[in-house]
Amino acid sequence: MIYEIKVNELAEEFGVHRNTIRNWINSGALPAQEGPGRRYLIQWEDYKQLCDRYGREPRISPEPSARTETIQARKEAPALAPVRLGPKTNPLYTLPTLADTCLTCGSCAGACPISGVDDLDPRKIIRMAFLGLDEELLASDWPWKCTMCGKCEIACPMNVEILQLIQRIRSRRDRDKIPPPIQKGVVTCLEKGNNLGIPKDDFLALLKELGKDLAATACPGFVTPVDVRGARLLVTINSKEPFVEPDNLTWWWKIFHAAGESWTIPSENWEGVNWGLHSGDYSAIRTVVKRIIDNIERLNCKALLLPECGHAYYATRYALERWFPESLQQFKIYTVFDLLLEYLNEGRITLNPSLHAKLTTFHDSCNYGRKSLKTFGHGYFDEARTITRTCCKNYVELIPTEEENYCCGAGGGSWASPFSAERVFHGRIKARQISESGAKVVITSCHNCKDQLGKSLNREFNLDIEVQFLWELVANSLVTTGGQTP
Amino acid sequence: MSEDTMIGAVMVIGGGISGMQAALDIADSGFFVYLVEKTGAIGGAMPQYNKVFPTNDCSMCIIAPKLVECGRHANISIMTLSEVIDISGRAGDFHVRVSEQPRYVDINKCIACGQCSAQCPKSVDDSFNSYIAKRKAIFIKYPQAVPLKYQIDPAACLRLKDPDSCGICADICPPGAIDFDHQPQKHEIQVGAVVMALGFQTFDPGKAKVWGYGVYPNVITSLQFERYLAPNGPTDGVLARPSDGKPVKKIAFLQCIGSRDKNHCNNEYCSAVCCMYAIKEAVMVKEANPELDVSIFYIDMRTPGKEFDRYYERARSEYGVKFIRSRIHGVEPKGGKGDLRLHYSSVQGKQVEEIVDLVVLSVGLETPDSMVKLAEKIGIHMTPDRFASISAFMPVHTSKKGIFTCGAFNGPRDIPQSVIGGSAAAASAVALLTSVRNTRTRPIAPPAERDVRLQSPKIGVFICHCGTNIAGVIDVSEVAAFAATLPQVVHVERNLFTCAQDTQDLMIQQIKNLGLNRIVVAACTPRTHEPLFRKTLKSAGINEYLFEMANIRNQNAWVHSQDPEAATRKAKDLIRMAVVKVTSLTALKPLRIPITPSALIIGGGVTGMTAALNLAKQGYQIHLLEKTSQLGGNALHLFQTWNGEHVPRYLMGLQEEVNNTPNIEISYNTTVTAVTGHVGDFTTTIRSGTSRKRTIQHGVAIITTGAKRYIPEEYEYGKIPKVVASIEFDKLHMHNETRVANGKSFVFIQCVGSRNQERPYCSKSCCTHSIQSAIKLKKEVPSRQIYILYREIRTYGQRERIYSQARELGIIFINYELHGPPKISREDTGVLVEVWDHVLHRPLEIKADMVILASATLASPEAVELANLFKLPLNADGFFQEAHAKLRPVEFNVDGVFVAGLAHYPKPLEESISQALAAAAKAGRLLARKEIALEPNTALVDPVLCDGCGLCIDTCPYRAISLVEYLDEAGTPLKTVAIDQVLCKGCGICQGTCPKRGVTIAGFTYDQIEAQIDAALMDALPTEVTP
Repeated sequence: MIYEIKVNELAEEFGVHRNTIRNWINSGALPAQEGPGRRYLIQWEDYKQLCDRYGREPRISPEPSARTETIQARKEAPALAPVRLGPKTNPLYTLPTLADTCLTCGSCAGACPISGVDDLDPRKIIRMAFLGLDEELLASDWPWKCTMCGKCEIACPMNVEILQLIQRIRSRRDRDKIPPPIQKGVVTCLEKGNNLGIPKDDFLALLKELGKDLAATACPGFVTPVDVRGARLLVTINSKEPFVEPDNLTWWWKIFHAAGESWTIPSENWEGVNWGLHSGDYSAIRTVVKRIIDNIERLNCKALLLPECGHAYYATRYALERWFPESLQQFKIYTVFDLLLEYLNEGRITLNPSLHAKLTTFHDSCNYGRKSLKTFGHGYFDEARTITRTCCKNYVELIPTEEENYCCGAGGGSWASPFSAERVFHGRIKARQISESGAKVVITSCHNCKDQLGKSLNREFNLDIEVQFLWELVANSLVTTGGQTP
Repeated sequence: MSEDTMIGAVMVIGGGISGMQAALDIADSGFFVYLVEKTGAIGGAMPQYNKVFPTNDCSMCIIAPKLVECGRHANISIMTLSEVIDISGRAGDFHVRVSEQPRYVDINKCIACGQCSAQCPKSVDDSFNSYIAKRKAIFIKYPQAVPLKYQIDPAACLRLKDPDSCGICADICPPGAIDFDHQPQKHEIQVGAVVMALGFQTFDPGKAKVWGYGVYPNVITSLQFERYLAPNGPTDGVLARPSDGKPVKKIAFLQCIGSRDKNHCNNEYCSAVCCMYAIKEAVMVKEANPELDVSIFYIDMRTPGKEFDRYYERARSEYGVKFIRSRIHGVEPKGGKGDLRLHYSSVQGKQVEEIVDLVVLSVGLETPDSMVKLAEKIGIHMTPDRFASISAFMPVHTSKKGIFTCGAFNGPRDIPQSVIGGSAAAASAVALLTSVRNTRTRPIAPPAERDVRLQSPKIGVFICHCGTNIAGVIDVSEVAAFAATLPQVVHVERNLFTCAQDTQDLMIQQIKNLGLNRIVVAACTPRTHEPLFRKTLKSAGINEYLFEMANIRNQNAWVHSQDPEAATRKAKDLIRMAVVKVTSLTALKPLRIPITPSALIIGGGVTGMTAALNLAKQGYQIHLLEKTSQLGGNALHLFQTWNGEHVPRYLMGLQEEVNNTPNIEISYNTTVTAVTGHVGDFTTTIRSGTSRKRTIQHGVAIITTGAKRYIPEEYEYGKIPKVVASIEFDKLHMHNETRVANGKSFVFIQCVGSRNQERPYCSKSCCTHSIQSAIKLKKEVPSRQIYILYREIRTYGQRERIYSQARELGIIFINYELHGPPKISREDTGVLVEVWDHVLHRPLEIKADMVILASATLASPEAVELANLFKLPLNADGFFQEAHAKLRPVEFNVDGVFVAGLAHYPKPLEESISQALAAAAKAGRLLARKEIALEPNTALVDPVLCDGCGLCIDTCPYRAISLVEYLDEAGTPLKTVAIDQVLCKGCGICQGTCPKRGVTIAGFTYDQIEAQIDAALMDALPTEVTP
């Protein structure tokens, strides 16, 4: 049976952009022939397959009773060998709150943006773990397509700890079956001190060069502080920045300069990114964090800033609380928000409120937002808005927002993983939120979010937006002592 | 406590339906009642509802008579705007401190004219209307409020904030009732017992942002929805989108908002009522507009009550309400025009997005913090779910002796359970204070009756608007003008609610002032309201039978709402008929007969024993019949209550207490063979074993005959020894029989014999029972694999806790509703269970060591005969049908006979005990009257016209007629019939049967009925029929 479809209708049905549908057709993911009047002709079976892939109820069906037939057909399908239930040996989890207490109410499956992908959703994942289908779970890519955003958890009326379960599943997978870029990042970081394996000499040369440039332009007298013993603040770095976008580093430097901060970058083990969190490698998480502690102790710093990403802060804070609680007594761990707000409140920096006229919104990173709220008891919602609105008077909120915000679609290592179609599919809700808000500038506090929003969703969904880091916005809004913005 | 120091008064805290019921039952049993109400009027939550399930009665209409009854009861003192601060003392002699907030309106002066409210310049959100409408700073809670007295809201009043401003109400109040100097008052009251009916509040969904309540105007609560639907609500029953007033096309009900949730709130329990009220609300809107698309999103559809599953099924199949098993995680806006987006996973696991234009949040019930604090202060224990902690064996007793509790304060529950609880608390308080009965009451003596025989009829016609129920369809002013033209009518009046207490007072005044001697009320149905109006006539000093109702609502405005003109014409006809009839009515005297102060209780289970003990404590003689040789009934098979209390120990104590109570006479192996007589004076013939029949005289009877269990025919029961029914399993489990002891894998199958085509009802206690057994098995040996295969888990109310506990222990719940029932076969030495998983939609196999079938509870087969003997109705499932599912849950239309326990419907032990106490309260209230007035609307023989043909004798369903032979003056033998005025119910079958007009019913004579027919046809006469 052949159906005529319109790209925009199909896009609406799947909640994705027209471009995404065209991409599917062009790549062969959705076999279709061009038909009359900007329509395409597709086989019902292909359409059905697409629906199955994204777990959607087919809107068009050959006959009204197709719904029940689907169930019937599946019952007779030979592929579904019965699952024999019995006692679990070496189960994925022992705490009942990871799966046993599930009511199977479906809240999580309704809340998760990639529910239905591979015919799976959080509820099915929990159920599989509960019924002991561990091998299938470990073989499935779904837990890796999941961004561990935690939207499912805040929807759960029974407080099932779904993220911990996903983390367990990721931990249990054979290391050679983990999405290669992630595992490579972890291994490289452990071996060479940073995810991309940038040699020390190259790194130091780059810092020096960037410092010089900065001294010549915006910040007279600036010298990049490396291994400054006794500096107050130790700052880590995301290896992607020196590798790809070195100029981005200087936003923070400008702010530190303006605030008169005493700070330093360690010459080794400067990576704050901690992909062990994505691969479920607790020993790696611990090692990376231990290195940061060592740097702080070596350089006798009083505080730590992890400016790179939501997950870096989350992983580091998590590791400190779990394995190094005494270190938390010795130094203070700053989020980007804490530090910027401290500068603002103490009058160490002044921001120009009139530079940004475009309608602006703030996208909450899951790690700084609801996951911090849940794990550490505080989500950085108000701080982010105070800072953003100091610079941007024309401000709008995304709906829903803060704790209920939707993930950009690239968290949990997804930006680096090979599942890009699912990543874009995940982002469709974020794209819809942004487009409905009318915002033209999106401020965020996480590298993954920024890349996904600016480099992927912006194009896929024709959003026509500009995406900035919060510190980028702050750096660009700084009022220097002379009353000039650098 | 020595009995002479006990106080014959009771305080009831909370004026909702449960508190009102307790107050009425206690006051009618000979005690003075202080009814303490926090707000300005009694009524509680019920007046806010549009209709009630499963009867679809108008909520206000069925509660109104009770409001008025409380309001004018000589032995109930209503204390409004009052809260209890503290209770000290002990059972029999409590000292209660009550604080009363100022009303700022003198209750003795206010005539409720409403001028103050009309002129008041300050409007605030109206909590009675769930904040969807405004009220003034001076207001009455609702139009039928009792007491119907205005009150000033100090938080809103301009004058009370600033003495120099406003004060308009005081200036214009005709009787000068406004007093801005009112001060709070403290009262110290001595009572013998306290009933706490503190009620509930609904969960505030604005606390959790996810549902968008308070953000998106088209997200409303179920209570707001009730107010939208209510004809007496702010929109006159018209439903429109709050955001833009556009008609609603698609509605989604979201269940479990503020229930079964420990994330967005701390309410882990099930609120027990929301599934049914959501279905009811859905049915109501579908009834009004069948085109509407209405969906209910739920986790488990919990409709375990009587007739609930049928209602659910009808909502689905007849009304087309969609039921979607999926909890909605959150509500988001779609576009900027008020539409709302729901995204969910369907029962098949597919992703669905729906755009709706109204979301109704089915909000749960919770105990207000202030009530928790009061409970703490008084020192009564609370559950972790913040409800009163009660034992299943003493379901209305708090942890403090002499303080009883009922209603939703005992855990979330619906109206019938609250009414039962109110009566049960009353029974318990009355039993405690029996020795001081009638020591604090004021005698109730109606004024002397005016003899109107020689007066020409002076008829008053009262036409009720019933809010908009009637006035919204019928042109009442036209009807009133018409009524005034009818012969003998001297007064016509229209009332917003004729049943409101102020109207009753007004009616008494009018009767006295204008010398009215016959009254017609054109309103609703005599079934619910006639007793109320008759009492009013009595209070006004005229015979209560000089009264007639014209039902212009149920039989007119409701059914002809599409054709107002015809409805108005019909209203005129109905009123003309009533006027003609009332003209020819004569005063009737009720027959007064003494009551035999004893009760017959049929069935010696826990229910029967509980009722027996309570009535015995109230001082009455009890005949307790048991058909077996042992007391205990079905409870003999039970081991624990839902919260783990040990049943056998309790049962033993109960049996002992019954055996040792001197005024309880127990007859074993006994059945009832014949029943004659009537309320107050029954004569029942019983047979014990093989001995001879004997008769018992009793004033009342309580039927507690229990139920029996279903013997499964499905799931290889009886063929595979490892497949057993739950009651059998309990026995095996108790004795740790090898099948259980060695078992490693157990499968429970729910709904065996319940909720199918043959028995479309839920057996109510099986989910709880299976989960308890499962928990016990798991706790004994944690490595055991335990599976419960179910359709809906119905652990309603605080039972949800054991469902949570079971999941925490790792018990596996599999829902077989979608993919069909499990298959059972032998495998090796065990049983193979095949079932599909409801989440993964894949076939599962379980090798079970035992399969336990949760088999249904069936009506007792003996019910049929007993129903015949007592002339009682049974429902389609064979359970006794109570008089009214909501407000008369233990009574029948046959006076003096009550029902409780499983004979009424399957239920858990504490509900049976509660119902037993409620039945005892009703029985005791009747017996306390010592004599009874029987309806005088009975059949009368005209000895001239009756020729003794005897045709009527066989047709009489009450065996009230007998043939009499006598000799006339000439000595000729003649025949006629004699009618026992006590047995006769005035049904009129004899009158219809008699070919000679030899028998008539008082109040429905040939002349009266013919006059009505003539009046009805008056307009139709001129129409010529063409051959």
